[in-house]
Amino acid sequence: MSETSEAARPPSALPGIFGLIDGAIARIEAFFLAAGVLLMALNVVANVVGRFAFGRSIQSAEEINRILIILITFAGLSYAARQGRHIRMSAFYDRLPQRGRKIMMIFISLVTAAIMFALSRYALQYMLTQQGRGRVLPSLQIPVWLMLIWVPVGFFMAGLQYALTALRNLTAPGVHLSTSLAEAQLPDPALNRGEPAP
Amino acid sequence: AQADTWRYAFEEALDEVQGVFAQKFKEEIEANSDHEIQLFPYGTLGESADIMEQAQAGILQFVNQSPGFTGALIPEAQVFFVPYLLPQDPEELNSFFRNSVAINEMFPELYAEQGLELLTMYPEGEVAITTKAPMRSPEDLNEVKIRVMTNPLLVESYRAFGATPTPLPWGEVYGGLQTNLIQGQENPAFFIESTRMYEVTDHITFAGHNNFTTALMANKDFFDGLSEEDQELIRAATEAAFDHILDYQEGLTEASLDAIRAARPEVTITWLSEEERAPFEASAESVEATFIEMTGSRGQEILDQMKADLAAAAEG
Amino acid sequence: MTATILGIMVVLLLLGFPMMIPLIAATGVGFYWLFGSLDQLETMVQQMMAGIRPASLIAVPMFIFAADIMTRGQSAGRLIDLVMSLVGHRRGGLAISTAAACTMFGAVSGSTQATVVAIGSPLRPRMLKAGYKDSFVLALIVNASDIAFLIPPSIGMIIYGVVSGTSIAELFIAGIGPGLLILFLFSIYCWIYAVRNNVAPEPRMGWGARARALQRALWPLGFPAIIIGGIYGGVFSPTEAASACVLYALVLEMVVFRSLDLRGLVATARSTGLVTAVVFILVAAGAAFSWVISFAQIPQEVLASIGIDQMGPTAVLFVIAAAFFIGCMFVDPIVVILVLVPVFAPVVRASGLDPVLVGTLITLQVAIGSATPPFGCDIFTAIAVFRRPYAEVIRGTPPFILILLAVSVALIQFPQIALFLRDLAFG
Ligand code: NA
Ligand code: NA
Repeated sequence: MSETSEAARPPSALPGIFGLIDGAIARIEAFFLAAGVLLMALNVVANVVGRFAFGRSIQSAEEINRILIILITFAGLSYAARQGRHIRMSAFYDRLPQRGRKIMMIFISLVTAAIMFALSRYALQYMLTQQGRGRVLPSLQIPVWLMLIWVPVGFFMAGLQYALTALRNLTAPGVHLSTSLAEAQLPDPALNRGEPAP
Repeated sequence: AQADTWRYAFEEALDEVQGVFAQKFKEEIEANSDHEIQLFPYGTLGESADIMEQAQAGILQFVNQSPGFTGALIPEAQVFFVPYLLPQDPEELNSFFRNSVAINEMFPELYAEQGLELLTMYPEGEVAITTKAPMRSPEDLNEVKIRVMTNPLLVESYRAFGATPTPLPWGEVYGGLQTNLIQGQENPAFFIESTRMYEVTDHITFAGHNNFTTALMANKDFFDGLSEEDQELIRAATEAAFDHILDYQEGLTEASLDAIRAARPEVTITWLSEEERAPFEASAESVEATFIEMTGSRGQEILDQMKADLAAAAEG
Repeated sequence: MTATILGIMVVLLLLGFPMMIPLIAATGVGFYWLFGSLDQLETMVQQMMAGIRPASLIAVPMFIFAADIMTRGQSAGRLIDLVMSLVGHRRGGLAISTAAACTMFGAVSGSTQATVVAIGSPLRPRMLKAGYKDSFVLALIVNASDIAFLIPPSIGMIIYGVVSGTSIAELFIAGIGPGLLILFLFSIYCWIYAVRNNVAPEPRMGWGARARALQRALWPLGFPAIIIGGIYGGVFSPTEAASACVLYALVLEMVVFRSLDLRGLVATARSTGLVTAVVFILVAAGAAFSWVISFAQIPQEVLASIGIDQMGPTAVLFVIAAAFFIGCMFVDPIVVILVLVPVFAPVVRASGLDPVLVGTLITLQVAIGSATPPFGCDIFTAIAVFRRPYAEVIRGTPPFILILLAVSVALIQFPQIALFLRDLAFG
């Protein structure tokens, strides 16, 4: 999956200041996504090396991984929404005429956005409950709620992406699967993962 | 009275100690009222921390959680991980659980702060260490990787015992022992039997360092909102289950060990002598120090009170 | 209620919603039905967190990362060249090698999802080039990865053993028979497919060319050594083997082969993160969904309504197979085992069935369900990694599922397929 083409593409399809903000957010998400994976690799590798070279495991390795997996999942939630990468079964949708697909996509995006916003609210509530209970990770001694910050944020940003997808379908011609992916831009089937980037 | 459905989750399977306790509790409640109890064994509603939160949120009315897992919520509860604190003599132990001021007066206040009504604490059985090579002294544990739960006090204990404590999720323990990634683990005998740990370790050693303790609690708002009559019903059921579990445990360790001997005769089972225990016992001090470091003056108070209660129980 | 929830899921699914939405919406409806309001939805968030908490899940992004590095660099290509030089001239040779590689890798990694990525990423382009259709390739990868559940060490069997109190050692041995049988049947199907679709074999290579291929693959052969030798040799846990692979892949591609620079590394990490997120959000939603099902005691209700207490042992086995198969079509296998095993425990005990046979059958169903639409995890992983549409990924699955179901029926009718080795070892 070549990402060079993504970098070449304008980061946001939105006009003016919104585009700038949206583009900045996209960069932040992409940064956290890559950083999350690299840190996790560093953590697990250091843990293995520690165990073999010094006979000691990193005690908090498991907790660090828990933090990172939440970061990756929820930074990735909105990033994937932006790239139109969330998995869907489009067999029936694909059979609709273009106009039908456009209407359907607006409907899907709006409902998905609403559900994401609602989850963001409950995730925030959950995070605040955790804060109130004062739980800490046993080994790192970090408050549990801190690692949950990404959850409401991720849901909210994903909701925003879906809302913007609806908006884009309403204002621009063609069918848009996400803010940065129109139907015509669907990846070329011949472009398989694993082949060197052009 | 109105017939309600109460939900009760615990950390073990239905036929393990917590499950036996829960079934007795259910039986008592349903025999003496129109209420119904639904039981949720290990994993069916999430892990230990999850069911605790669900009880705090009032979705579950009852939850059985071992104090060791409560550490993130009530740090003082980790006192049960200080080695060589609890007595090995069953009568002394039972008398301690029945009469302890720390358990019956101090802990309920700490649990109440977290929205929980502590109904009872009860022992699950003496913890044994199972290893691949025989262990009689701290020297035997040198370089031996013993799996422990992710808990600072347990890690400190095994470090003090001379072993290499290795926190590992429970799901990886069996495979880890099989592939020699770790060379030992600790648990009560019934658990060693039910989880087949004896298939992948060859020596079971009782060093007398701990008796696994667990606790039943109710959501406090739920409990406080009940009629006097229902509260009494719950207390009586708890009492009955407590008595039942002490009876049940009499001979449980022996029965589990018999089952292990029958399944795999080559497994050795050893009780360390007083002399052999001494060097392990000496290490308890450093763990106590870690506990105080983590819990401050409140922890100190609990520890002091427990020691006083234990002395009283020893005098009988 | 059960019908309403399922109805909502199917409708949303067919309309083309992102897959997390049917799961989340059904869970939300369940909460509303249970508690009369949405005030308790915090617990849904809690369960989503619980779904992505298990430490063993970490192996998934790490194997994805290692495989991603290997395929961007040269390691994967060199390994496949070696395999091709040995079996490329045989009909279906590449497909059979892929199936065998999936079995082997899955067996040791313990993760079917990691297998889909680690074996699928490098081998799929080569199979396409050789002339296999993508729908066949995807289905082969997804389904062959499932054999992983049956060959030890198997996380599913460990969990079953712990929950049901069954000997894990016996379970492990019992899984080998059905696992190899499936691999054998898949291989036959691969051969038939290659013959019928006229997938041309490559010319046979001389021993000189093979030696050169072996020499080029010497470094990359460290990967199977780390994974297989490391785990069976007791050096690594599966998660650690994943980390060691990442480290080894980094050293190989960045230092030895110099095929990956820092920019490439960051891009790889980002794509690994994206794939991980897309799959894990579904794992999270599935966990919340299963909580509702479990809390409402729906399995107990359904079993009571079909009168399982009055059934004979064979019928009970069929019900168990169906329940786990259906469960794993929607929810993560581990969760299904945790929830359903206690539900079935009294029936299994009463019917006098061998718990090892039951465990093997359950593990097999779990494996099949994970690769079965609509919510099989392996399908998600394949979609996320290979960027193929849902319909394409599942199109080629029916023959494989048919083989797997046939093995299930065979296992119920002839328990010796599983118990033969067990009795030999423990009898
Ligand atoms: Na396996
Ligand atoms: Na599944």
